[in-house]
Order: sequence, then structure tokens, then C-alpha cells
Amino acid sequence: MNLQRNPEIVWRIEKRREADVLAAMERGEDVSEHGTVILIANGMMHQLNFVGGRIWALCDGSRSDEELFALLSGEFQVEAAELAADLTEFINDLTNREWLRRG
Amino acid sequence: MADAITEQFSAPLTFNWTLSYRCNFSCSHCYSRDEVGEELPTSDLKRIIDILAGKQVPFINFGGGEPLIRPDLFEIAAYATEKGLNVSMNSNGWLLDLAAAQKLKASGFKSVGVSIDSAEAALHDDFRCMPGSYVKAVAALDALRAVGLRSTMSSVISRINYRHFRELLQLAREHGVHQVYLHNFKCSGRGFKNREELDLSPQEWKDFYVEALAVKAATSDLSISFDDPVISSLPGYEANPLVKGSSCGKLSLHLRPDGDITPCGFIPLVVGNILREDFDKMWYDSPILNAMRSKEAKGKCSGCGAFADCLGGCTARAFATTGDFCEPDPHCWK
Repeated sequence: MNLQRNPEIVWRIEKRREADVLAAMERGEDVSEHGTVILIANGMMHQLNFVGGRIWALCDGSRSDEELFALLSGEFQVEAAELAADLTEFINDLTNREWLRRG
Repeated sequence: MADAITEQFSAPLTFNWTLSYRCNFSCSHCYSRDEVGEELPTSDLKRIIDILAGKQVPFINFGGGEPLIRPDLFEIAAYATEKGLNVSMNSNGWLLDLAAAQKLKASGFKSVGVSIDSAEAALHDDFRCMPGSYVKAVAALDALRAVGLRSTMSSVISRINYRHFRELLQLAREHGVHQVYLHNFKCSGRGFKNREELDLSPQEWKDFYVEALAVKAATSDLSISFDDPVISSLPGYEANPLVKGSSCGKLSLHLRPDGDITPCGFIPLVVGNILREDFDKMWYDSPILNAMRSKEAKGKCSGCGAFADCLGGCTARAFATTGDFCEPDPHCWK
């Protein structure tokens, strides 16, 4: 079943930050600690970094895990095994938090 | 995840929106009861919603004045909901009967708050200067429950109730309330004039919060919220990981009835007008907002170990009592 965002969670892409992060990536800087997507879940605010935010944005229920992986492989220059491990870890974390669901 | 980063957001998360200063009550602590101002027509309110939706502001909360005084409240809320915003409001409950609750639900409200300051009817009525207001407020909570609309309860903590907040929590439970906001007292407007009579001493604030945080930690059937940066050094306080100090000007802004933006309802400094000025320019470049976002420790805050988390406490209270954002919060007990 495809991954879908919990509709109770309010979220937003921080466009100015995202532009800054993209520019930093172009310069080869580490941007893993820079949030570009904010989420409000159960009254608490959280951030996702650029890669996490991209996965989150793609989880609209229309894509299988394989399709997600294929899309991300085309967007990020990462070894396939590393990407698969990171994607699995991220999905497990967010499904455990009930921010993502299978449906 | 990237929870540790504190940076400026691209827009507020919440606009607290005073649609009108008009009110059928005349409360002792009200920040706005003595205010007067032009009110915008429905068409302009919709233009504002268009701007907020364009900036992806996710939440608007109508306050006042009494929001139900404006007959177009339902139309405005429905429009905002249609544009994807999450709409809530705070009311004194007087006009919130079953019919109004049904209309609020139909307009898309996500939650509606009712102000109740004491579980003793006479004390609430006296504080609100309105006989019968307690009964009406409780009935409003019941009306919201009857139509299946999430309710919250707002209680302004002051000398009349700080020893009896548990009774307020019990009242909330009995009437199906999901969340109780124990608001800190703001010395703005009438709250400033009546400060001597209503405000607690710093030590009383500390004692209240230590007790209330312990109750919160032991409570699972009701959500209890405080929004007071002065408590950030106390045990049991769950800090917002993304913003320290006052959230005003960082996570939230306030709209006046004429479209003027202020950092919050309790700071009477106009940043600009949302209908006449470029929003991004105000948000990113306002000297007022930027001063609030970059407070420097003054007075007893200098050298205080808590400053890194509380950033001087409530900016509105510091400003109201000293005229300076950076002075210490007068509620601080340190």
C-alpha cells in the first residue's frame, strides 16, 4: 500500500529556506541539519531537512515505495544502498510517529 | 529530522485576528475594551484571507472584541476554510447558543474557545462584569459538544483564580473540553490599569507554575497549555524546540480590525497594514519585529543562565511596563 501523509498534520515548505539550502548544496555544503519543511503534529512543531521534506512532499498516496525510491534516485546523487537504507529508516520513523500511513 | 535549528520562518504560523473591538462584555483585564478602530467590510476581510492563504499561513484565530458580534463571521470563516486555512476563535460564550454552534461547525471552524475564569459563577460574573455570563459560557461549551465541534477553554490566570485552577480543569472535563489554556496575565489595556488588583507577584507566579506544571504532567485526559516563556527554566516545561522566548513576531502576528498588523494583541506597535503594504517586506524587514527577534539581555537578565531559553520572558509585559522589549519580564522571579 502506498504511503500517505496523515491529513491531521499541518505542514508547509519554507520556500526561502529551501532556496538557501539549494544554494548551499550547489556549493557542496552539508545541509542535513537545515529544516526546509515544518510540520505541526499534536500541537508540537517539527522540521524536516531537505531530503526528508522531499520524501514527505512525495508521500501523497499516489506512489509505491519503489516509485518513491526511483524518483529520489534521480534527484539525489547517493549510492542506491545508502538511499534505500535512509529511505527505510525515515519511513519507519514517520510511520511509528503516525505521521505517515499506508493506505 | 532537523529539529535543532532555529531560524526565521517564511511567514507566521498563526494570525490572531481581532475582527472588531466591539464587545458585549466589559472585562476587568481586557487589553482591547477601550480601543476603537475602523472595521473592514467583508470584501476586505476576504482579501486578507487571500493574502494569508498565499503566504501559507496555516492557522487563524479570531478574537476580539467578541467575534460573534460580526454577522459575517460565518461567511469569513467558511471562506478561509475553503482557502485551506485552519480556523478557530475565542468567545465569551454569551451569543454562542446551539444555533450559533451549528453555524460555526458548518463554517468549518476546527475549534472554538470559551473564556471561563472561575468555576464559581459569581466570581466569573464579577471578573467579566456581566451577571449571568458563567451560565451562558458553560452552556456554550455544551452547545459546542452537542454539535460535535472541538471546544477549548481559556482562563486568564489572575489573583481571583490562581489557587483554584484545578476546579477550572474539572469544569472543563465535565463539559467535554479538549484543551484548557491557562493564560498568563498581560498588563495591557485594562489589564495594565487593574494590574495592582489582579496581577500576581513574581513569587506567586513561580509557585503557580510549579504547581500547574506538576498537574499538567499528571494529567492525561485533558490537554493543558501555557504560553509563557518565563517558565522555560522550570522543571516539567516542554520547550518548543524551534522557537525560544515569546513566539510573537516569530510564529504569530496580530491583525487589528482595520488590517493593521501588530506583533501581538498586547503590543500596540503597528508593523504595517496588510492591505496596503507588501507582506514579505513587513515580515522580514520590520524594525519592530526584528527588534523582538533579537533581544539582548538587560537588567537582571544579563548573566542569567535562563536567558538562553526564556529570552527575557514575555516581550509584551516587558514593553508594557518599561517601554523596552529587552527589559526583564516583570513576572520573572529570578
